[in-house]
Amino acid sequence: MKKSAIFGIVTIAIAIAVIISTYSNTSTYGSFNDARKADAELHVVGHLNKTKPLYYDATKDANYFSFYMKDNKGEECKVVFDGTKPQDFERSEQIVLTGSMKGKEFHASKILMKCPSKYTDDKLNVAESKTQSASI
Amino acid sequence: MEIAYQGEHLFPGSLGQFFIVLAFGSALFSFICYYFATTETAANSDNSWLRMGRIGYWLNTVSIIGMGVCLFYILYNHYFEYHYAWSYTSKTLPTYYLISGFWNGQEGGFLLWMFWGAVLGNVLIWRAKSWEKPTMAIMALSQAVLGTMILGLQIGSAHIGSSPFLLLRDAMAEAPIFKSPNYLDFIKDGKGMNPSLQNYWMIIHPPVLFLGVASLVVPFAFAVAGLWQKRFKEWVPAAIPYALFACMILGTGIIMGSFWAYESLNFDGFWAWDPVENASIFPWLIMVAAVHVLIVFKNSGHSYFTAAFLTLLAFVIEWYSSFLARSGVLGETSVHAFTDLGLFWQLVIGMAIFFIIMVYLLVSRWKEMPITKKDEDTYSREFWMFVGAVFLCLSCLQLVVVTSLPVWNLIFGTKWAPPTEAIKQYNVFQGSFAVVIALLTGVTQFLKYKKTDITRFFITSGVYLIFAALVAALVIYATGLYKLSFVFWLVMFASLYSVFANGKILSDVFKGKYKLAGSAVSHIGFGLLLVGALIAAGTKKVVSINEQGEEHIAESYKEENPKENLLLYLNQPIKMGEYNVTFKGDTIEGAQHLFNIDYERVKDGKVTEKFRLRPNVIQSQGGMSSTPDTKHYLFRDLYTHITMTNVISAEPKQEENHTDHPEADDDKNYDAPVAHQVAVGDTIPYRDGKIVLKSLNKDVKVKDIPLSDKDVAVGAQLEVITQGKTYKTEPVYLIKGRNIFDFGKKLEEVGLKLRFSKIIPDKGKVEIMVYQQPESKRKFIVMKAVEFPYINFLWAGTIIMVIGFFMSILRRNKDLKVQPAAAQVKIQKSKFKK
Repeated sequence: MKKSAIFGIVTIAIAIAVIISTYSNTSTYGSFNDARKADAELHVVGHLNKTKPLYYDATKDANYFSFYMKDNKGEECKVVFDGTKPQDFERSEQIVLTGSMKGKEFHASKILMKCPSKYTDDKLNVAESKTQSASI
Repeated sequence: MEIAYQGEHLFPGSLGQFFIVLAFGSALFSFICYYFATTETAANSDNSWLRMGRIGYWLNTVSIIGMGVCLFYILYNHYFEYHYAWSYTSKTLPTYYLISGFWNGQEGGFLLWMFWGAVLGNVLIWRAKSWEKPTMAIMALSQAVLGTMILGLQIGSAHIGSSPFLLLRDAMAEAPIFKSPNYLDFIKDGKGMNPSLQNYWMIIHPPVLFLGVASLVVPFAFAVAGLWQKRFKEWVPAAIPYALFACMILGTGIIMGSFWAYESLNFDGFWAWDPVENASIFPWLIMVAAVHVLIVFKNSGHSYFTAAFLTLLAFVIEWYSSFLARSGVLGETSVHAFTDLGLFWQLVIGMAIFFIIMVYLLVSRWKEMPITKKDEDTYSREFWMFVGAVFLCLSCLQLVVVTSLPVWNLIFGTKWAPPTEAIKQYNVFQGSFAVVIALLTGVTQFLKYKKTDITRFFITSGVYLIFAALVAALVIYATGLYKLSFVFWLVMFASLYSVFANGKILSDVFKGKYKLAGSAVSHIGFGLLLVGALIAAGTKKVVSINEQGEEHIAESYKEENPKENLLLYLNQPIKMGEYNVTFKGDTIEGAQHLFNIDYERVKDGKVTEKFRLRPNVIQSQGGMSSTPDTKHYLFRDLYTHITMTNVISAEPKQEENHTDHPEADDDKNYDAPVAHQVAVGDTIPYRDGKIVLKSLNKDVKVKDIPLSDKDVAVGAQLEVITQGKTYKTEPVYLIKGRNIFDFGKKLEEVGLKLRFSKIIPDKGKVEIMVYQQPESKRKFIVMKAVEFPYINFLWAGTIIMVIGFFMSILRRNKDLKVQPAAAQVKIQKSKFKK
């Protein structure tokens, strides 16, 4: 067999390995209910319950932030994050949490939030929306 | 109903819009002319197609410059009737940031891309000679496709492109404010620039990045031209200098972006494997691979198909990465929440056009391609260069597959989420590829083109391998890298090997083997870049570990997550690692709100080093953004940023009038007061120290209040001693006529308010009311400090790599002049494997 053929096969094998390992490592978007059943970390998409208090008091503990989030199935759960409150958290439209359930609380290791888009913002010069458009 | 709006400046926008249409039209015209110029039979040509093509392209160039001038005029004059000006700038924005406001929006990004496209096109008109017609056809096509992205045409409910000259009232037509003709009177200011973009790197980084992006089209155009005109071998040497240029500039632009992120964003590092960042390096990896394969073909005649394929692919994948970044498809996976301009399908079509050209040419010319059937020699340099290029592509493949998850979800209707430990996964995969690639950059240098003396090769490379292994072991031990996964040990070893092996080649350069200089230098740079990135990212250490936090400490999960944010009260030193840090207050300088943090390094009770870091918090667009400040040492950086503060949000501006007018409201800022009856010389203890009544001052004067003989005014001279410092203050007790007043004094720095509230003559005592600020009302910051060891290797490596690319370009250009076009196989050595 030609050397280039062997090399080609090796390359294809690596490529397939990459793809398979990627999909075996993908996580899923779930609900709090799924998180309760799962052992591993997963992503939960939802939105902030703005009627319930956000708790962050740097003077008590600079690395403790908690809030209530409703997932896309409507279930609400207390979420705890080890860090400071992300800036403009109250304005978020949608939140994606990465983490797992510990007891009755969801412990997030990562919070990703979406702010309102500028095209849906008609409250001009009253309360301007903040769009994180880091276009480069 | 038409409304006659007042005070609008519509002329610059109309002119700009005219230029946009003209730019698109002239690019299309130029494309058509160049197309016919290429296809016409040369014999009876009077070159009129060519001339018209050139005129079209020059018109395109002029229009693009015109657009830029109009847009800048609008931004400079703060015409907020334009959506672009309103969205990205404000009157308070310094002029130099108006320049970055220019490319703040996606439209500006496209404009910049087109501008560089125009510049490069003119270079080709000037220099490409026999290649001008076919390559310029592609350049003009690229300009035309880009032109549609900013057309801003509204056809029914669909729109083609998004124009930077869109009026605010058109962008938000439903807003009630636009019912009034004088709406501009209500728009006092623009939204302002996203604070994280208010950084001088944002002035320089985007133009460089977009020059890199735009320059990818040139090698693409040469490859297309070569296949189209069936000048199969000739295009390769002509394309190599441009391909190297694209690698050099795009690489510089990307690293500048990561330097910007490191210097001015607070995500604690220089690379985060964010989808948008990943997308930016796809084309770079492919282009670097393409350069190597092009050189393989040029020197050996092997791998023609791969060379052409990769050169074409680099540009197509650039469109794919634009699509990822700009179409909004990445959605919830990226922190760079790009606004969706509704260009999704337009971007898909743009990508499809170039993809179809690529596939058509590769398929239709397949049989005519100069593909060799002969196997390459195992000990030839070109074989291993080829292997290295394939690994670069595999590294890109892994990034593409993972980054494109949202795209796969869209296509297959699945709901996959990115891996929860995405960064770890990226690091391991990319680390493994980096090992192979870095090793090859070294090994291949010892091989010769075509055929090598095998024994000698094994001895030399073996010696350097052992040497690199020894040094790597030392470095891994000394820097603490051994705590990381084994893969990263190998990365360190391979990178060092690449540095040493190429160092050897570089030393041969001084003996007269000039040709390899460029490749040796750029590979050394690449090796150093890996070394720096590996140590800095692998052993970065959060210095601000917090052991306080009263309330939640019992919970078990704390142990896995060390608390990385530290609370600092004003003027209250805290020990942080080997430093004592003190928050010394904040200052506002122009648009910046700086927080002064004093660092003292203490060793055996002695202060060995003292410096001040001033991280910045910018407020804009209703949000705040924290910019770190970094103490740079030669071999490490200490990086500090504010994650939270009560200085900005909790404190309204009125607090400044801390003078003699006690306000009832003000007391709310303090805990309930405690009254102390004291005589002169007595001490009042309080939470953070003590207060001493030194004496009573009968001659006290109260500002603005004239005193008669009957009035009594007494000042209590108090000394507050806290944390080794003494503060003096003097609250006043006043009897004027029948009224009793007292004038309390505030000591902001220590969070105290003191009132002289009563004189008790029979006891010889006075009453002092002590108001203490509750802990939460005192000024504080929450900060995070991270140490990055040896990060300078990363930056230095980048600079060296760029120099190497530049040297290679010079050399390849010289080759072109010396050996015009013909397939030159007899070239001794050259540039390779990265």
